[in-house]
Amino acid sequence: MKGLGLVLLAATALSGCHMPGRPAPGPEVPRPESVMSFAQLYGENCSGCHGADGRNGSAMELGNPVYLAIIDDAALRNIIANGEKGTLMPGFGNAAGGSLTDKQIDALVSGMRARWAKPNVLAGMTAPPWKASQPGDATHGAAVYTQACARCHGNTSQQPGAAGSILDGSFLALVNDQTIRTIVIAGRDDIGQPDWRNVLLGRALTDAEITDLTAWLIAQTPPHPGHPYPSTQPTAERPGEQQPLATHTQ
Amino acid sequence: MPWYRRTYDWLERRLQLEGPIKDAVLHPVPKSTASWWYVFGSASAVLLVLQVVTGILLALVYSPSASHAWNILQMLNHQVPLGWFLRAMHGWGSNFMVAIVVIHMAQVFLFGAYKFPRELTWIIGVFLLLLTLGMAFTGQVLRFDQDAYWGLAIGASILGRVPWIGGQLVHLMLGGPIINGATLTRFFALHVFILPGTLLVLTGLHVWMVVKLGINEWPMPGRLVRRETYIQEYNELAHKDGLPFFPGAAWKDAYFAAAILLAVALCAAYFGPYGPTGTPDPTIINTVPKPDPPFLWIYTVLSYLPPEMETPFLLIVPPLAIAVLLGLPFVAGVGEKSWWRRPVAVFSVMFLAVCWASFTHLATYTPWSPKMNAWSGAPIPTAFLERRTPLERQGANVFQEKQCRNCHSIGGSGGLRGPALDDVATRLTEDQLIRQVLLGGGNMPAYGSTLSPPETTALVRFLNTLHPNYQPAASDASRAVAGQGGVPSASTVERGNGQHKTQ
Amino acid sequence: MDEKLPPPSPQEQQQLLERDRISRRSFLMNVGLAINGMVGVLLAVPVVAYILGPVMRRREYLTWIDLGDAAKFNPGETKLVSFRNPFTNEWDGETANIPAYVRTEAHGRYTVFAVNCAHLGCPVRWFSESQLFMCPCHGGVYYADGSRASGPPERGLFEYPTKIENGHLFIEAGQMPTLSNSAALRPCSEKSQPTLVKRIAPCPGTDEPTIG
Repeated sequence: MKGLGLVLLAATALSGCHMPGRPAPGPEVPRPESVMSFAQLYGENCSGCHGADGRNGSAMELGNPVYLAIIDDAALRNIIANGEKGTLMPGFGNAAGGSLTDKQIDALVSGMRARWAKPNVLAGMTAPPWKASQPGDATHGAAVYTQACARCHGNTSQQPGAAGSILDGSFLALVNDQTIRTIVIAGRDDIGQPDWRNVLLGRALTDAEITDLTAWLIAQTPPHPGHPYPSTQPTAERPGEQQPLATHTQ
Repeated sequence: MPWYRRTYDWLERRLQLEGPIKDAVLHPVPKSTASWWYVFGSASAVLLVLQVVTGILLALVYSPSASHAWNILQMLNHQVPLGWFLRAMHGWGSNFMVAIVVIHMAQVFLFGAYKFPRELTWIIGVFLLLLTLGMAFTGQVLRFDQDAYWGLAIGASILGRVPWIGGQLVHLMLGGPIINGATLTRFFALHVFILPGTLLVLTGLHVWMVVKLGINEWPMPGRLVRRETYIQEYNELAHKDGLPFFPGAAWKDAYFAAAILLAVALCAAYFGPYGPTGTPDPTIINTVPKPDPPFLWIYTVLSYLPPEMETPFLLIVPPLAIAVLLGLPFVAGVGEKSWWRRPVAVFSVMFLAVCWASFTHLATYTPWSPKMNAWSGAPIPTAFLERRTPLERQGANVFQEKQCRNCHSIGGSGGLRGPALDDVATRLTEDQLIRQVLLGGGNMPAYGSTLSPPETTALVRFLNTLHPNYQPAASDASRAVAGQGGVPSASTVERGNGQHKTQ
Repeated sequence: MDEKLPPPSPQEQQQLLERDRISRRSFLMNVGLAINGMVGVLLAVPVVAYILGPVMRRREYLTWIDLGDAAKFNPGETKLVSFRNPFTNEWDGETANIPAYVRTEAHGRYTVFAVNCAHLGCPVRWFSESQLFMCPCHGGVYYADGSRASGPPERGLFEYPTKIENGHLFIEAGQMPTLSNSAALRPCSEKSQPTLVKRIAPCPGTDEPTIG
């Protein structure tokens, strides 16, 4: 009788629904395009450069509430889908050869806003627009650099400041005007770099100053950036030499 | 006479099975064989029965249709009550069966049981092992998920390496030009009719011979097998110092069989069924196929073979290994049975076991494969980015964006194909880094045509910061000398962690 | 139990066989065996032909497949496309959708690679950022032009024959590419190497280190 009871007990346990081996609902590996979880999408596609929680990555801090306040959904969507030309941000959308569908990109955008956007982060101030409205004046930008940036980044690339040079040719070749504009406005609070309100003592940078500064910085890009021996002519331009396939300009 | 006795007699008068069964069950066996070491053969048979029963139960629902099989497995997992448990039992039963069959084989080998007069029992046993592995592979195919699909592609690619008739063999295996419905149906026929049919017939012969020739006695050092005298010696052993198989030795088999079945059920309940992983759609490129546990070691072997050795190895070694196993009882059919006096046998088994274990372990984390999502999904640990210049941060971006991370780990995450780069700057100077990045070499692709000069500069600047714990960075002594107008610096220890570089 | 019919003893069986060894009955038996043998051979022919069916129809497998308007492939890009395998049945489901990579160097210059790694057939993934194909199984890596970069493959990626007709890109495909039914090891041509490597490494396919 005791044996029968044990068998019955085991049978009930087997037919019960609390066995750890029971598969969770849904397929174990869904089709890649049906993944809609922000954590998974962000973790697999973005965290490599932008950091595990949108912070402390090597690339732009996506978890920066100022950044999320100045950029609109369409721009975010466009950057995720098609990448940012002139920078290292590749396109992740299907059309650009990536693996993300439009719906997944929407999930990323709304997920970023839901997690990291903070209401009233600008504290009543109007931030300069994310996109520059008119071309900048590079000559005026030099003065803005000396006034606002040189303190930390140094006066020339040969004399970098404590925060490292941003006049380095290779650095300038790997960013575009939008990268500079975005980082000047939004700053990077994860690594302690100020936003546009705190660069200067006492006042915030104006939209025009930022535009000019950006134009000046981009104009500092040397003709052959990253060349280890800048004084010599690149091999590729000598007669009889073929230019290596430049794939950077995607 | 009670009614059941009358029924039994009525049946027995017609069937006449009592005699042969009694003969088989009560035949005397040497006392020494009533050992826990002798339970693996019967356990294999019990697992075979379990597989047949669970297999038939799954066949009640399964349909070998390429467009439906995956959905049916989803239904079994989620809708059919306890369908997942039956799938798990069948999957884990398969693992246990392969394991027990291999253990049985090792035990038989170490006990010298393949020697005269049991040569044919061993040979059939070798075929039983091959059939068991065949069942495991074809069973993985019937799961018809991404792993099954690409497992078939690997099988077809191996066949495609056969000279002259490789192409024909591929089409014969796939049942057509590509992996599709015809492939699934023929693997279904193999898994459900051909292989199990052969397996059952050969198992019957195997057991028949064990009964007829007697269970191998416990080997004693110095008791040599001679063709002229062995049968007589064995019969003396079995009759004078023996006991009837049932229940004298069989109770241990019964206990072990129950324990194994329970273990299968527990694994099934705890770990659940295998997959199915993603749908068998070849256009889903984002997949990392992996074989089932019994074949993980092959995965490792195929990854580490040098390219030029691969085809000969694949085509020569398996037939050779089978030939060695089949030829074993003819080469060593008589003589010493005890492992105490067969060091080569013992070390062969140990060697194979160690190889198998390390290969299988390697295959669980596949250090040879690029980690496909590491570049976009494995963040660089914050410690490697602290107090870095903007250019060095861009270098980290290049490092990720150019998929360096897929093969090189930093801070313990990333691919293991190439060396970990946590302290690469202590090993390579800036110039060496540039050379390695642009030209590749040592199994690394050349990035010269992919990286622009600024990207290379940024990347190398970042890599140059990777010399943690105040270890000195590797530096080119001649550079320092040239920079100081021919005067060497006092110390080569220039930079430490977090220190800013002097330009 | 004593009511059972005892089977004939071995001696009795032997005697019966001996008696019939040279007789009309044994002759008829031999003829019967021979007839069965012939019928067996006769039946084996269709059975073997049936089993070898997939091998005998090989000529039907390859056809020219339309990959669509050639202008939709942008120069400098490598794009994943998929096509329905021409030799298929309705119940093949999604397994008959075959992917391929179209590499466009310039309009009119197309190379179409099979996704199957030349090592053991796993699906290689294209990374446009590093211009490499990587295989998830055993770690084969290929350059953008399909030549071998590193890992266990002994040759470059499989290529489908291509042609342009009426502005559409066609490939000749229909069977899974393996080492035996695709072109044999491609000779180490100038074309197959990235420009920069060409100057240093004589042939990346030969697995020799470049420098050092």
